[in-house]
Amino acid sequence: MIGHLVWKNALHRPLRTALGVLAVGVEVSLVLLIVGLTHGMLHDVAKRIEGVGADIMVQPPSASVFLAFSGAPMPEALGSRLAELAHVKAVAPVLLQLSSSGGLDIVYGIDPASFRAVSDGFFFLQGHGLEKPDDVLVDDWYARAKHLKAGDTLHLLGHNFHVAGVVGHGKGARVFVELHTLQQITGSPGKASLFFVKCDQRSSTNDVIGEIATLLPRYQIRPLQNYLSLMTQTTVPGLNTFVYSMIALAGAIGFLVIFLSMYTTIVERTRDIGVLKSLGASKGYIVKALLGETTLVCLGGIVVGIGMSYGGQFLLRDLFPTLTILITPGWILRAAALAIGAGLCGTSYPAWVASRKDPVEALAYS
Amino acid sequence: MEPIVKTEDLWKIYRSGKVDVAALRGVQCEVLPGEFIAVMGPSGCGKSTLLHVIGGLAQATRGRVLLDGNDLTRMSDAARTMLRRHKVGFVFQRFNLLPALDARGNIAIAQHIHGDGFDPHRFDTVTRLLGISDRLHHRPAELSGGEQQRVAIARAIINEPKILLADEPTGNLDTKSSESVLRMLRKLNQDLGQTVILITHNPEAASYAHRVLHMRDGQIVDGIPVD
Ligand SMILES: Nc1ncnc2c1ncn2[C@@H]1O[C@H](COP(=O)(O)OP(=O)(O)OP(=O)(O)O)[C@@H](O)[C@H]1O
Ligand SMILES: [Mg+2]
Repeated sequence: MIGHLVWKNALHRPLRTALGVLAVGVEVSLVLLIVGLTHGMLHDVAKRIEGVGADIMVQPPSASVFLAFSGAPMPEALGSRLAELAHVKAVAPVLLQLSSSGGLDIVYGIDPASFRAVSDGFFFLQGHGLEKPDDVLVDDWYARAKHLKAGDTLHLLGHNFHVAGVVGHGKGARVFVELHTLQQITGSPGKASLFFVKCDQRSSTNDVIGEIATLLPRYQIRPLQNYLSLMTQTTVPGLNTFVYSMIALAGAIGFLVIFLSMYTTIVERTRDIGVLKSLGASKGYIVKALLGETTLVCLGGIVVGIGMSYGGQFLLRDLFPTLTILITPGWILRAAALAIGAGLCGTSYPAWVASRKDPVEALAYS
Repeated sequence: MEPIVKTEDLWKIYRSGKVDVAALRGVQCEVLPGEFIAVMGPSGCGKSTLLHVIGGLAQATRGRVLLDGNDLTRMSDAARTMLRRHKVGFVFQRFNLLPALDARGNIAIAQHIHGDGFDPHRFDTVTRLLGISDRLHHRPAELSGGEQQRVAIARAIINEPKILLADEPTGNLDTKSSESVLRMLRKLNQDLGQTVILITHNPEAASYAHRVLHMRDGQIVDGIPVD
């Protein structure tokens, strides 16, 4: 019966209920899309780094796992000292640069020979490797997204590049240029953001890591075999702050909208509350009815929000084919819990006020 | 016979700002089970206040109210809520049905709050008696004033309260609907033995009662003729 009352009350003001549902939907989809985007990007980057085929990645102490945010503080010459270590077969310096032309993409500045040595080489779908300073390689996804083919011109980082070839995806980045070219463009001659290291055999990876750690204490040295599983959110402090701020913002939206909507509701229903009290309804009964209504709105909002998230995923995929958005059941549950938690918090004060109304005054309200 | 309602030197003082308004000034009265009482008196003399205090909606300032043997003036808010739930039915001038629920829902929610669950037999008896059986699926906005008031009466008596308190139930009704509502109240009193206190300005309405209590300035003044 209280469910019936809750249901009928929600239907009695369809516009307000719909707005509440929509706001909770925005809250839920904001969480799912932000988390999905960051997870998707991390996942993507990690998978591609794993796909390079190197055994170890060496980064300076302050570097973020989320490579795009790293600067280029290491001297390129450090590479030759790494190459001298036992069991090291090849070392490739890479300079990273973020390009924001039409989506965010990481550009790798590579030395073609050493990069080929640490990886198993590119798989060319079209064209050939980097030969001239203004050559650029793009992967097939990027080529499809930007409608590029070998021989085209690509405007990147303020320069016109010549698309020398299109390669299979999964080799660290989607866009590759000559190391020296990128060093020039970014004004960091002789610098590298990271080194990929190839060992003479997989089994010596741990030994080599130990050697590098002695040589370069405090540097971040990671085996790449399980890189994907290593790249969880917890390893990205700055990103965590961002994601949690957005989640807090989403929760605040839900809280405020529900708070305002429930507050107007109880003012509007002052006389109804008086009536319920005259019938002998306890404070708990009134609180329960209001919390029930919020729960209903939140459940509706969660469904709408999940729908909006998948819709957003579909749209974004259409607009930016290189973006990956990961919507996971775990985060759907967390977003739902956030929505309901924020909603119940937002209702608690109005419900408390309603339950304490004086019945005679409430009945006299017009 | 033990009275259903007994007040002893009952005072209710409203404090609005710095001014104290004594709405009840030592009300002394008794209502026996099965009685149909009318309360009359000029506007502002404290009739509604008396009804609210007797029904446990408002707390008395001084004196005693015994309702079915329970002293309301010593009860906590929660205890008075419980007492309203089990022993009192209210009917108001403005009907006060819940707009979101249909007639059936408005009556059923009283049963739900009461806690004994839905009793179809009682429901049928009451709705038939009040002549609203074919209006149950209409919402208040789709009912005439007279029909709304009969639904409100059904809601008030569905849990078999010890006393039905009606505050000018015909105040918003035309003559014809008023008559039908008053006949219903008399029928409830005669057929079911329902004790009723009816506040009214209308001598015609008061004529349905066994006994008329006259109020003036917060007191019951018997022996003064109806004005
Ligand atoms: N909440 C309140 N605060 C202050 N004074 C009040 C309050 N409620 C009622 N009063 C005063 O108490 C007195 C009695 O009011 P009450 O409503 O009981 O009168 P009534 O006999 O029912 O009048 P009416 O016939 O107009 O309904 C009035 O003087 C009124 O102004
Ligand atoms: Mg009155």
